[in-house]
Amino acid sequence: MINIVLFGYSKTGREIAKLLSKDEYNLQIIDENPLSVAKANEDGFYAKHSAFNDDKMLEEVGVGKDIDVLFCTSTDDSFNLFITLSARSLDKDLKILTLIYKKEDEKKMILAGANRTISPYDVGALKAFRIIDKPKVSKVLDLFSLQSNKLSMNEIVIRKNSILDGVYFKDLNIFKEHNLIFLGMLDKELGEKFIFFSEGINHKIDFNDIIIVLGSKSDIKKFKKVIE
Amino acid sequence: MLAKLIISFAYFLDSSKRYKRVKDFAFDILENEKSRIKPYFDAFIIFLVLLTVSILIYDIAHHLSYHFEIIENIAVSVFVLEWLGRFWIHDNIRYNIIKYHKKKVEDGTDVHLIEILKMIIVQKVKYIFSPMSIIDLLAILPTYRPLRILRIFLIFRLLKIFRYTKSLNTFFKVFSDKKFEFNFLFILAIFAVFMSATIMYVFEGIGNNPNIKSYLDAIYWSIITISTVGYGDITPVTFTGKVITLFLVGGGFMILVLATSIVTNALSDKMEMVRENKLLSQANKLSNLIVIFGFGRMGMALANELNENGKDFIIVDKNEENTLKAKELGYLYMKADASDYETIKNLVFDNDVDKVVLTTENDALNLSVLLTIKAEKKDIVVIVRANNDENVKKFKIAKADFVIFPYETVAEVAVEYIGSSVKFDAIENIILKKSNISLDEINILDGSNIVGKSISEIGLNKMSIIVIALLKHGSSRNFIFNPDSDYMVEANDSLVVIGDERNIEDIKKSISRQFT
Repeated sequence: MINIVLFGYSKTGREIAKLLSKDEYNLQIIDENPLSVAKANEDGFYAKHSAFNDDKMLEEVGVGKDIDVLFCTSTDDSFNLFITLSARSLDKDLKILTLIYKKEDEKKMILAGANRTISPYDVGALKAFRIIDKPKVSKVLDLFSLQSNKLSMNEIVIRKNSILDGVYFKDLNIFKEHNLIFLGMLDKELGEKFIFFSEGINHKIDFNDIIIVLGSKSDIKKFKKVIE
Repeated sequence: MLAKLIISFAYFLDSSKRYKRVKDFAFDILENEKSRIKPYFDAFIIFLVLLTVSILIYDIAHHLSYHFEIIENIAVSVFVLEWLGRFWIHDNIRYNIIKYHKKKVEDGTDVHLIEILKMIIVQKVKYIFSPMSIIDLLAILPTYRPLRILRIFLIFRLLKIFRYTKSLNTFFKVFSDKKFEFNFLFILAIFAVFMSATIMYVFEGIGNNPNIKSYLDAIYWSIITISTVGYGDITPVTFTGKVITLFLVGGGFMILVLATSIVTNALSDKMEMVRENKLLSQANKLSNLIVIFGFGRMGMALANELNENGKDFIIVDKNEENTLKAKELGYLYMKADASDYETIKNLVFDNDVDKVVLTTENDALNLSVLLTIKAEKKDIVVIVRANNDENVKKFKIAKADFVIFPYETVAEVAVEYIGSSVKFDAIENIILKKSNISLDEINILDGSNIVGKSISEIGLNKMSIIVIALLKHGSSRNFIFNPDSDYMVEANDSLVVIGDERNIEDIKKSISRQFT
């Protein structure tokens, strides 16, 4: 069970909550606005009302103890900033993802302790741009979306003694055999940087590395069994 | 009998394609603002006007050879032809006569010659006495020999130039718009002039002041003083005269200040209109235009992206703050209400627009613009931003080509962050374009040399470009995921690939080079 706190039942907050199934995730929602809290409860989620500057509330829901992920999805950048900062001071290892509405706020959020930021306006604009500039790319991307569910992108952690342990990029025919596309990997030794296959470097895969593959869900399932 | 002849002639003209073609051509040259030839023709006429007027000025002090006479004659012939052309295309007599005849036939009554002639004459006389026609005539008439004394009226030719400059017309419209204010000022000035002139004449005209011999002198003095010109040839000598002068100078100053402020005010009101006119004519010249409604944060992010990629677009927003931002960034923009039909017509229907993006935060407004566009032009691609998940369906029912619900997309990406962050980073890098690895499409055009070649032969594998999917004839319904490297591409196929930006660019270039 992964414990998640969502601050701000905004439009984005609502969409995130809808995507998280109840059997896999334990979700707690907090909002400044009683109306939003009521709406969240109506939608069937567990939600609480609290002011953004109430540090006790963060401790109460479990930040610093068993919470794994915090989403700051309030519609106000300054609220998100404040919550990010408070949560980071309580827990150094917490994963914090924060919404930003202005590009200038990205640096501030990272400085306050957010691990990643994301902007709905940029995402929307890029989507529109892709439809205009590269219509076929956007068609293919739609196949990956959770709604159409046709294709998916998956991460696989390489275990010790897996058949992929110690193999170089260029020697990989196994993906083709399973009708998968190997996109790239994250090498734990090299830090947090993602290495794309398309960068053209002939990299070696070791255990504990994480690889990303594209393909249909059933193919990915079969593949996972084979490599272990 | 004559009436019948005229009617049959009208029918004859109506059936003649050649006549219509010639008339359309004349219309294009003379009146059609959108035609391509008109600007050249206008420039030519302006050149002729300036040339003949400068000849006239030069002629005053010098004697000119007969060559210049020829130039003058040519210019006047052109002016005459132009006037006759406008006289011709001003209205549609042939059509009116046919209509008249049809009506008479329906009613079962006879046609009357007088009625037909009246119809023709009324229309044409209307044209002859229109202001523009009078200006044109004034430019032509002075050349007629018996009227040679009127040569100075050639200066009226300069008026012709006004006809061709749209902004000057707007400038004059400023004055007619502020008619009330100007009338008030004018009456005030007249009152001040006559009052002061009368007092001056009464007190200084009886011999006190040798310079004021008549009432006209007094008025002349008053106007010179009130206008703050003050030549000083007539100056007050009596005490009363001096007091009156003081008031007159003060009053004159006030009137000038008022007049200036009225004109500046009116001009700044009109500036937005002048700018809009310019923008619309600019937009008219662009093709495959993209119109963005709403310049909020999403609209701005999209505009930046389009700008970087060299696409032509226009922004529409009614919010002052937003349009100011667009102005600072140097984008084409129009401050207008999107719910207004005129805005959509001027911008979308009258131009070569192929895509419209609605990015406002108001779903009702987005829907109304979408429906307006789809009702009239179905083939314009409309991309709509939905602000509420319940409205996504409604936009689809209203025939939006694409609906973007940004919050859902963000949520989908955000949820990926819960696991290990690797997948999130991969998605962020590709989808949000944060690295030089990019998703792109390679379209195989009919007749390209790579038709019939395999994917590895095109050189994609060598450059580590991965083909994610191949869309048969560009359709996502018929796609092959992860095609084999020996798969032969066919004409009109599209490859969706992922790879280094530069490598993809190289491949695209090499494909276009092989194009026969």
